[in-house]
Amino acid sequence: MRSYEGIVLTSPISLGYARQSAHGAGWYVGSVLRELLGATGIEKADVDGLSVSSFSLGADSAVALTQQLGLCVRWIEEANVGGVSGVLALRRAARAVQCGEAEIVACIGGDGAAHRSFELMAAQFSNWSIDAAFPYGAAGPNGPFSLITEHYMNRYGARREDFARICLDQRYNANHYPPALLGHKTLSLDDYLTARPIAGPLHLFDCVMPCAGGEGFLVMSEERALHLGIPGVRILAADERHNAHAEDPIQDRGGWTDYIDALYDRAHAGPEDVDLLQTYDDYPVISMMQMEDLGFCAKGEGPQFVQGTDMRFDHSGPAKNKLPHNTCGGQLSCGQAGAAAGFLGVTETLRQLTGAAVSHQVPQARLGLISGYGMVNYDRGLCSAAALLAGGDV
Amino acid sequence: MRKRLKLNRPSLRQRARPPRHRTASGARFSAANLSGILKLQHCTACQHIQYPPAELCGVCLADALVYRDTDNGGTLLAQSDLHHSLWEYFKRRLGDGPWSVGTVQLDGGPTMIVHLGPGEMAPGDRVQVFSHSDASQSAVLIAVPDSVDLRTREARRAIVLAMGLNAPAIRPTGA
Repeated sequence: MRSYEGIVLTSPISLGYARQSAHGAGWYVGSVLRELLGATGIEKADVDGLSVSSFSLGADSAVALTQQLGLCVRWIEEANVGGVSGVLALRRAARAVQCGEAEIVACIGGDGAAHRSFELMAAQFSNWSIDAAFPYGAAGPNGPFSLITEHYMNRYGARREDFARICLDQRYNANHYPPALLGHKTLSLDDYLTARPIAGPLHLFDCVMPCAGGEGFLVMSEERALHLGIPGVRILAADERHNAHAEDPIQDRGGWTDYIDALYDRAHAGPEDVDLLQTYDDYPVISMMQMEDLGFCAKGEGPQFVQGTDMRFDHSGPAKNKLPHNTCGGQLSCGQAGAAAGFLGVTETLRQLTGAAVSHQVPQARLGLISGYGMVNYDRGLCSAAALLAGGDV
Repeated sequence: MRKRLKLNRPSLRQRARPPRHRTASGARFSAANLSGILKLQHCTACQHIQYPPAELCGVCLADALVYRDTDNGGTLLAQSDLHHSLWEYFKRRLGDGPWSVGTVQLDGGPTMIVHLGPGEMAPGDRVQVFSHSDASQSAVLIAVPDSVDLRTREARRAIVLAMGLNAPAIRPTGA
């Protein structure tokens, strides 16, 4: 695979997180674009590429947004791939800029949260979900993921105390990231273990809170970023798989295992070099699965790994091994803003690698690994994507 | 769909029913399963058993799927007791205790999310799966222990009755 040399990601924006919102997805996408322009001093006319991810645009498409927002672009993409939308957007936008098809691409994920909109989305997420998943208890994503979690616990001996490690350290991180919707609350092991049951082994704090929010960043050439005087982050390697390991009757691994070694090779790095990790944490078992598949520990050793690893952003936990993980609190503590949740890991990594995180800055953050996971078409998440990003001088 | 969601509103619904919405393929699945213990799509070109219902064979892509009686033996891979639901029918049923669902891998290949019927079943156990109409007149899959006799229609109906699946959930009165 060709390298992404000469391309940078800049100006992470996260805005408008709310449990419910009167605003539609278009408002979130447009507001992120306005903030991107404001943060960089770029004119709207200079944005010639647009990548939009959203579940709640309704009758609108990315093209409709160009007219509403007064944009004229020569490259457009609408990638409704949920939890991998951020990594997919950066990969495609980087190639577009590299190939000269666009100069500045705005990559934006945004979703509203109207009253009962989550119920609507869960009830009609996909054809297979309509016919063969939703009628069985109508639990939304909690249904399939409770089965995945239960299977993982049985097979590898994971306990709820192990999943708690992920949730508790993320909540600590969120306590230092003001926009996180649950950041004002602390979470103790006792709170976690005694929470009300939701589905099988899943209890309240294993589940994300659906919310509204917008996330976005810009993709441009290194020269352009240098000229504009804005810090950028390079893509060392990135990859994706969809519907990998279809032969597994229940999911306990994702497509990362297909390419993770090659990904590290291309970046001339290994898991031990990663300064911060952002996984897609729709449920803690999925984060644990990603830690295994991304090479931080062997399959089935996730529970021991999280018990022996401090995942706080500031290395303040007691465990010896340090791996800041979901450093803004992830979706479990920020809320899951629809397709924007697939951007959260990217924008957070850009903040960290450009030293812009301030209140929750990871010390000496140079190499960040982002992993995306998503789209429960029926019984499992089909998409798995990953990107290794490096900060430093542009 | 929006209208159906409106009808899911607790205040409007004396008799709540399970989700009725299906795709065209899902409706054909319900029609095919009006009789028999379990009918699934078989590919006449490559013998693949297709589930969830689809228009094309997921292996050879042939337009050659037909519904046939299917060996209903399988293994329970995971089970989960639901304590929360987005749908009024299940919310009311949850008042009587958690609703059990599971993942079954049929001996013929497909994995399916199912309602778990009465009887003790643990992951790894042999189970059998049958289809039955629910209170929304859609065919749903139910797994029961291997020892249960499913041969007669009456036996299968009795299981569904015991689960409350083929009756609407009535709005609680008072309070």
